[in-house]
Amino acid sequence: MTALPQRPASSTSPWSWARVVYAVFALTVFCFPGGLVDWLDERNVSGWLAAPLAIARGVDAASTALGVKAVGQGLRKWFAQAVGDADT
Amino acid sequence: MLFPTIDFGLFFAFSLALVWSLNSHNTLKKVVLLALSLAFYASWNWRFLLLLLASGAISYFVGLYVDGKARRPFRRLALGLGVALDLGILAYFKYLDFFIAQFLTLAHALGLNPPIDFVNVTLPVAISFLTFHAISYIVDVYRGRLAASRSPLDIVLYISFFPHLVAGPIVRAHEFLPQLDSPRRAGDFSFGENMLLILGGLFKKMVIANYLAVRFVDPVFTDPTQFSRFDLIVAVYAYAIQIYADFSAYTDIAIGVAALLGYRFPQNFNQPYRALGIGDFWRRWHMTLSRWLRDYLYIPLGGNRHGALATARNLMLTMLLGGLWHGANWTFLIWGAMHGVALVLDHAWRRSAAFARFGSGPIARVVDWALTFHFVCFAWLFFRSPSLDAATQFIAGVWTDNGAPSTMPMIVLPLIACGAVTQIVPPQTRVAIGAVLDNRGPAVQVAFGFALLYFIVVMAPSASAPFIYFQF
Repeated sequence: MTALPQRPASSTSPWSWARVVYAVFALTVFCFPGGLVDWLDERNVSGWLAAPLAIARGVDAASTALGVKAVGQGLRKWFAQAVGDADT
Repeated sequence: MLFPTIDFGLFFAFSLALVWSLNSHNTLKKVVLLALSLAFYASWNWRFLLLLLASGAISYFVGLYVDGKARRPFRRLALGLGVALDLGILAYFKYLDFFIAQFLTLAHALGLNPPIDFVNVTLPVAISFLTFHAISYIVDVYRGRLAASRSPLDIVLYISFFPHLVAGPIVRAHEFLPQLDSPRRAGDFSFGENMLLILGGLFKKMVIANYLAVRFVDPVFTDPTQFSRFDLIVAVYAYAIQIYADFSAYTDIAIGVAALLGYRFPQNFNQPYRALGIGDFWRRWHMTLSRWLRDYLYIPLGGNRHGALATARNLMLTMLLGGLWHGANWTFLIWGAMHGVALVLDHAWRRSAAFARFGSGPIARVVDWALTFHFVCFAWLFFRSPSLDAATQFIAGVWTDNGAPSTMPMIVLPLIACGAVTQIVPPQTRVAIGAVLDNRGPAVQVAFGFALLYFIVVMAPSASAPFIYFQF
């Protein structure tokens, strides 16, 4: 008799889910840091978001230095031109 | 705070860890979920929190009374009062100005000038979905389908739970309330499947729906007199894909988010443009609204129990009110009436001897699909047009061509094709890929989720359109 396949513990633990979700968010922010920097900047009226904004700017600088941000921007620009989206 | 925004991404990331960390303290977890839901709602307009709490209070007290030991006529009266209060709130905010406008038009036609002004109230976000949930609860308790909850916390959380709060799916009380009784088990859910559901929803909204809306559909429907016959016809089909991609995206994300928090929502779409007949379409499109209208309107009206004529009347009334639910505008009423007539004809056809003889062959099925699909698309024209005048201008443009050259962007046809693919791919595909992901380690899950999100961000246009069902 063949045993039913069991899902690994990592798939049934909400903490594993959370780690995957956070990692996906973090990688996306690293590749496209501009959105989060602008978002924090808009809301930092009285300086209460200064610390996260500084972190986001650090991530932006690291992404720029490694050329990751430029790849994302380039792909977005290329796709927008390919589909004729002049505003992007 | 809309789903495909940084605001919601951060909100969800915070909620995910917080909610699961409290899983073994169920009451505290529900308090936190309610606080998160109220914060989510307050992000639009905190003043309407009172409305949400009032709706919860009405449901709680009416539920207790109709489930109590009072005599049936009194319980029935309490139920009627509760439903009237819920509908009264909806009517005040959503329909009062529409009815005042109709009354004033009629009065002016009769040479009268009654001293009545418009109320000009702001329409609260989610008021329709909130009303559906509230009515569902008290009617189900009255019918004995579930016992009244002794916990006001559970009732307010049921009505306000943030994944379904703004645009559904409409979750029935007997489906949701038992899930609040005990800690949730992550093992009951597939992480891979729900991650795919959320990312697929983001793709449908951010790429398909946004491009179609911003680049083509919105300009065409804003001033149809400037577009050629070809553009106008394509715009109708493009809108059919846009509204599907937009609305199914919202509910897919809602279902996925709820599942990752440990709560199961019902399915809301099942490849509706594959429908064979209008009855079949409504079993596939906004399925939770169709069930709601069937159980709380069509069946109480008599359903199909009193002969063909009464069935036709009940179908018409249900669809007219379903149309009016979408908004206080004649275009929605006409859209509802068109679907009502089509349902009556569909009902009669499927019970006829001709259908029994010819209806199941392959040619009949192709004709059935083609008629259904093109009828649904034609009806969307009225649904999308901002006014009856605009709809007639649109149809006149199809007739006369407006003498304009085609300006349809080249992206439109591939996007329509993309939308068509969503109707063909077997629904089990997502389950199968989800199962494969579940059986891989976190590294593969991260790589897969990141790759999909990366390409969605690359492809998303700079401008975006609001969710269509957000306004209802």
